[in-house]
Amino acid sequence: MGIRVSNLVKTYGSTTIVHGISFTVGDGEFVTLLGPSGCGKTTTLRCIAGLERSNGGFIEIDGQVVCDSEKDIFVPPHERNLGMVFQSYAIWPHMSVEENVAFPLTVRGTRDATKAVAWALDVVGLAALAKRHPSEISGGQQQRVALARAIVGHPKVLLFDEPLSNLDARLRDRTRAEISRIQKELSIPAVYVTHDQAEALSMSDRVIVMDAGRIVEEGEPRTLYRRPASRFAADFIGAANFLSLVYRDQSWFAPDGSAVRLAQSEPGEANQAREAVLRSEILRVRPTGGPLPEEGLNALHGTVASLQYMGPHIEYVIDVSGVLLSALSGEEFAHGATVLVTFRPQDIHLLPKGAGPA
Amino acid sequence: MVDGVERSAVAPAVPPVRKQRSDALFDGGRLLGFIYIVTFVVVALLVVIPLVALTYGSLRSAAPGLPAEWTLANWAGLASPGIASTFVTTIGIGIAASLLAAVVGTAIAIVVHRTDFRGGQTVTALVSLSFFLPSFILAMAWIIIGSPGGLINGLLEDVLGIESWKVDAYTATGIVFVTALHEVPFVYLLMRGPILGMDATFEEAARAAGASPQVVLRKITLPLLSFSLTSGVVLSFILSIEQFAIPALMGIPGHVTVLATQLYLLVRFPPPDYGLAAAVGLALSALTALAIWLQRRIASHNRLTVTTGKAGRLTPVPLGRWRWAAGLLCWGYLALALVIPVIILTYVSLLKFFTANPLAGAYTLRNYEFLFESGTTLQSFWNTLIVSGLGALLGVVLAWLISYFTLRHRPPGYRILDLTASLPFGVPGVVLGLGMLWAYAYLPLPIYGTLTILIIAFITRFLSYATETIGGRMVQIDRTLEEAAWTSGATRLETLKRVLVPMTTPSLQGAYFLLFMAFFREIASAVLLYTAATSVLSTSIWSYFEQANWAMASALSLTATIVVLVFMWLLMLLTQRRPGKRT
Repeated sequence: MGIRVSNLVKTYGSTTIVHGISFTVGDGEFVTLLGPSGCGKTTTLRCIAGLERSNGGFIEIDGQVVCDSEKDIFVPPHERNLGMVFQSYAIWPHMSVEENVAFPLTVRGTRDATKAVAWALDVVGLAALAKRHPSEISGGQQQRVALARAIVGHPKVLLFDEPLSNLDARLRDRTRAEISRIQKELSIPAVYVTHDQAEALSMSDRVIVMDAGRIVEEGEPRTLYRRPASRFAADFIGAANFLSLVYRDQSWFAPDGSAVRLAQSEPGEANQAREAVLRSEILRVRPTGGPLPEEGLNALHGTVASLQYMGPHIEYVIDVSGVLLSALSGEEFAHGATVLVTFRPQDIHLLPKGAGPA
Repeated sequence: MVDGVERSAVAPAVPPVRKQRSDALFDGGRLLGFIYIVTFVVVALLVVIPLVALTYGSLRSAAPGLPAEWTLANWAGLASPGIASTFVTTIGIGIAASLLAAVVGTAIAIVVHRTDFRGGQTVTALVSLSFFLPSFILAMAWIIIGSPGGLINGLLEDVLGIESWKVDAYTATGIVFVTALHEVPFVYLLMRGPILGMDATFEEAARAAGASPQVVLRKITLPLLSFSLTSGVVLSFILSIEQFAIPALMGIPGHVTVLATQLYLLVRFPPPDYGLAAAVGLALSALTALAIWLQRRIASHNRLTVTTGKAGRLTPVPLGRWRWAAGLLCWGYLALALVIPVIILTYVSLLKFFTANPLAGAYTLRNYEFLFESGTTLQSFWNTLIVSGLGALLGVVLAWLISYFTLRHRPPGYRILDLTASLPFGVPGVVLGLGMLWAYAYLPLPIYGTLTILIIAFITRFLSYATETIGGRMVQIDRTLEEAAWTSGATRLETLKRVLVPMTTPSLQGAYFLLFMAFFREIASAVLLYTAATSVLSTSIWSYFEQANWAMASALSLTATIVVLVFMWLLMLLTQRRPGKRT
């Protein structure tokens, strides 16, 4: 049954943090709220948890309305049957690992939580540390205790508030995979809040991009990355170049005058500009003059404006008639060299009309 | 000692690992090294002299200055039944008062900061205000209310005609009650920090895990506070057993004796026994030192204060049907500790003759007029201004230097300085007073009977208050801020001036206010040291009350409190405008 959020509004005094957003999370679905800090994603999550009271709209968990400001319904968090993982882990220092994990059960009156606790600790791979105290385990282990505590009671929803941001990079990658695996195994609907696009793309079934208290765009990770409908989403997820194309004589033209082929022909209004997205990693930098390796490849003329040696590749900034494109390439070019920037027709994506400044 | 340190700067004879630290003594120029040595000597003299004198006195057979022999009789006297029962009374009253204060103070702090109680800000402001109400004024008010000839009994007899039932404040219960009232603000302010600083997600995680707000309070909040609470109880116990004014005013008439008042009685009433008093004082100090050691142990084993930044989002616990109880607790406490005492003092200060029936009272402003006609009273205003105003300034400067040397610079011997400076915290005021009495009877310094001896006593007694305030701020300042200044080319002294002093300025103001108020309300260490010419406000009120002049004592208490509050407020205005000008 999942979660249904409808027209959710949250204000603090005179500032509105969340401006009437709506979305659903299906059964067993992993949905990520992605956005810059202050976009209202954490507030939305806290409203679902019941840690904040919304000022408008309603929230349904598993078919039950848990919060409806018009009807004055508010189910307190402890009656919502949640599993929540916090950024700071929030492992209670006065309880052992075991006691921490058992808490959701004991607080609901379960007499014997031993089996469930053993199961949960086993799932996160911490069975050996059950008797330890929080001060005696590492940050990564604390995070897994938090995860065990969240799943031990088989909650109706799992909520994650930037759970990986306090971990170091390697641990983050591992834990990311772990969370994904556990969520899929248990098939509990999950809402995950993060500002990290890699987390959002790799873990989610669906990503909801938020900005300034509104949903900008939502979709599956692949679609969102390849075919974003908004300039904001394109810019926030991954390194994006924006190129303004002009429609003239049944064709699109780049700023340097080259014609640009698209995978599917998309007519525009004559002499009107549209914004197109080009990912840095699909741009190739080639020397001018030589033959193109593929038929039908788009090629723009530019000069190397700056370059940074990164190891596996070189990061170039290419000036194409005043538009700066960032591109990655293994080949070496000198500063100021005249080059070709090439890409396949299916790799350029034309943003819908009015998606952003052209 | 001076020679030794200087030589070590020229040719360091310490292992290479500690070499840097040793060299560091003079790397800010000779001036800083010189300041360190002066600070060290001053602190040592302040603290060591009274303690040594007291130990000496406890081993002598006669009063200071008189021919005497070495003896152990004073220490043997501690085991006499009279003194032994005083020990029991002291500990009993201390435990009862500190537990009562801890429960009420923590309950108020939780109600104000963790529930949806309305009026929390007013409660905080008023509790903080009652923190500054001197214990002797509180005790006086409750004596006027509850003593055999006081208001309650007067009302019962004269107005209601009840003769069979009487209240008596001159009892151990009375002392426990007033001591607890006096210490509640202390516990409240102590518990406030841990409660406000607690990581909100600990509670939120429990809420998300299925715990109701009441369960969260019981299973998460209170256990997390347990270390702070225990350490608060012990601190409050220390304050209770070294409390002098309350047991003196309420216990002496009712023959309830604690160690602090025992010492006073031994010195003040004939035949005086200075030697036994010194032994009692040292025993009392040992008791507080033991309690301090216990408190430090508890505090250092606290593994529960895992406050991780993101505070301030604590969801208040709904009070529901307990709202009336929370209101009764907060407002009831404030009524007993602040409002009623002030009203009673005002009432009594306006009476020509004491009567329990306000309708039958003959009202007058005569008492207030007399305050301003009395030369000695005016003198005590002036004395207080010097002792508190100037003394607090000296105390702050000394405390800043101690904090800097023990926390930042750390030249050789800094641990000894740290230890020495924190010692007086374990020495009750009246004991310190006796130590000074013993010391300056022998030392060739003619300061007995001057304001200087009061200033020295007060600075010694409250030095740790100021070092805690300033040091607490100083450790928060990241070392890299200083290092950045050094690497930018500033010398140690310049770094002090440009970085550390400006960044600790708010704590300097705080420490100054704290010392000023502490000096103003201090009675215990002054009571054995003041003379008619050097009486400060607290001792003037004290002597009016000792003469059973309730009206004058009340009038002076109120006037003094108002004058001091106005003075503090003016000072606050003056110091607050400064940073505004700079920007």
